[in-house]
Amino acid sequence: MKRNRTMFIVFLAPALILFCAVFVYPIFRTIIMSLFKVENITSGMSEWAFVGIENYKSLVNTSLFRISMWNLFRIWLIGGLVVMSLALLFAVILNSGIRFKRFYRAVIYMPNIISAVALATMWIQFVYNPRFGLLTTTFKNLGLDSLAAINWTDSDHKFWALLFAYCFGMVGYHMLIFSSGIEKIPQELFEASTIDGASKPQQFRSITWPLLSGVVKTNITMWSITSVAFFVWSQLFSMVTAETQTITPMVYMYLQVFGAGNVISERNAGLGAAVGVLLGLCVVIVFVVTNRLIKNDDLEF
Amino acid sequence: MKKRMFCLMLALLVLLTATGAVFAEGKTIVYWSMWSSSEPQAIVIAEAVKAYEAASGNTVDLQFKGRTGIREGLQPALDAGTEIDLFDEDIDRVNVAWKDYLLDLEELVKANDYEATALPSMIGAAREVAGGSLKSIPYQPNVFNMFYNVEIFEEAGIEAVPTTWEELLAASEKIKAAGYTALTTDDAYVMTNFGYQLARYIGEAGVVDVVTNGNWAETPEVLKAAQDYEDLYAKGYLSSTFGTSVWPTNQNGEFALGDVAMYLNGSWLPNEVKGVTGPDFKWGCFAYPAVPGGKDGIEAANFGAQVFAINKNTKVADEAFSIIEYITKGEFDKKLSVESVGIPADTTNAEWPEMLSAVKDVMAGLTTRYQWSAGIENNPDMTPIIKENFQKLCTGKVTAQEFVDALEAASK
Repeated sequence: MKRNRTMFIVFLAPALILFCAVFVYPIFRTIIMSLFKVENITSGMSEWAFVGIENYKSLVNTSLFRISMWNLFRIWLIGGLVVMSLALLFAVILNSGIRFKRFYRAVIYMPNIISAVALATMWIQFVYNPRFGLLTTTFKNLGLDSLAAINWTDSDHKFWALLFAYCFGMVGYHMLIFSSGIEKIPQELFEASTIDGASKPQQFRSITWPLLSGVVKTNITMWSITSVAFFVWSQLFSMVTAETQTITPMVYMYLQVFGAGNVISERNAGLGAAVGVLLGLCVVIVFVVTNRLIKNDDLEF
Repeated sequence: MKKRMFCLMLALLVLLTATGAVFAEGKTIVYWSMWSSSEPQAIVIAEAVKAYEAASGNTVDLQFKGRTGIREGLQPALDAGTEIDLFDEDIDRVNVAWKDYLLDLEELVKANDYEATALPSMIGAAREVAGGSLKSIPYQPNVFNMFYNVEIFEEAGIEAVPTTWEELLAASEKIKAAGYTALTTDDAYVMTNFGYQLARYIGEAGVVDVVTNGNWAETPEVLKAAQDYEDLYAKGYLSSTFGTSVWPTNQNGEFALGDVAMYLNGSWLPNEVKGVTGPDFKWGCFAYPAVPGGKDGIEAANFGAQVFAINKNTKVADEAFSIIEYITKGEFDKKLSVESVGIPADTTNAEWPEMLSAVKDVMAGLTTRYQWSAGIENNPDMTPIIKENFQKLCTGKVTAQEFVDALEAASK
């Protein structure tokens, strides 16, 4: 068939132009912006002041930014392990032939359709409330006074309180992704192994897990992207002024770009852009490492 | 046939809309508001705008953006050339962060004799923060000071509100003896306690110097202020969750439910908790006490307002100013005050809401204006670290000296 170059260009151009305008241009602009001091995010380029890598140096030397990166790492690693383990466990159980599968799946997924604001309010004002909260009253009724006396939102416990509440809402989403992966595995494999006398744990180890490697990779990447964008929950757990236990790089970026709390602080969108570039790099590194460690094309089914 | 009729009707509709737009009388004023549409302030503002439209024949494109919406969206929208004639937000943000977009209102104010019935302290504050010229019109004035439960004070036998730190300690002892907790706060406001205490010793400029230059150990008053709160904790005057509860847990809980006597907060507090306290709650307010040998006394506090500002590029400045007058004068100012339990901006509306009557005397005694939290939050890179350590100080997890050492180390 004869190739028509004009047609190629005509059909490709709209998508290409849009891709450049919506993805490529903002990425380059953000990278360039990170090398400048920019007071307003909408300032014209003529108002930008070149500072080289000063923004990056400033971030590395700011203890609050280092704290925010440490918080992000803990959310990603600890939260990731908990969420992935629970999501996989629920997905395997739901696909093991139990009754009321659709009902349980809907229940586990439900937190995802509720606004984060409503969920966080429930956790803060109902579960963690020091006066009549679920935890306080439950521990009191059980006679566990030392546990009932814990202030779940003080600086010793707030990070864990936040992480627990966040993970609660994230399990359902990743469970669905695992579940769809498991459903794709041919049932004959399980049936054959059952006939051969394999137990459920053996089936998981020898069939489900190896055939799920692609899905695992997807889940890790998705988890990394959502973790890097951790913002709303942090804001809801620390309204008005940020806190060391809840601040994440995204919140730090927001403070730099739009100002902090009720005070009129100095703004630097360039510093915010530098945070964005560093976070982008983190996701790329996680993606590359995951791709190296987990091969998903070894098995075909 | 049906299709043809539909097309004809559609064409007619388009034609009518177009001619309507061409021949419509009056001007259009675009107003971006900081309130969310369900808030009492927004409801009254919408009513005032409707009344203005009916009287003037002009149209107001009123958009309620909410706090975050206007904070994030206004400046980019103005930079992009979006037509916005009138907007409102906090006095400091408007006059400092958005100073390049403001129309000077001195002439309009003079021409309309606006100042004759405006609160002089608020107009003065608006001029001061804008560098001498009036570029915004204050409304919903507020003051940040100590609010208290009058019934607890009476039950504890406190006859006069404390004006010095010694008197505050004595009052707290009586409150404790009566079976109540003296002071509480939530995480959102905890920093203001330390800001005020330190500012009482060294003034707002001193506080700003400490937080921006990291002179925590070099300024002995920092340790003194920290020791004062260490003392409050040690004597059992502070709530066990002082400043560690997520807002509004303690505000709506132990304070509004009558377990704790005092809460350092803004004059918006009665409005925020009225659903919990009910109408019978007896509100009191006094100025944050003076400390021995301190630079500032009870005459200093953070007070301000929401302000209206007009875009310097507007073509409808007179009309926008008329809307401001509709909202901040007479009937609608009064309604705004009643519905939002706020302070009236019009001096002819002399009657303040009952819940705020105690604020009137406090406000009258103020001569020095602090910025938010007396400047203790002015270094955003340090604010969370100060907050964490102050929370620990007030819950007995660190000593005053450890508090100072931690901040000194973090700021270096």
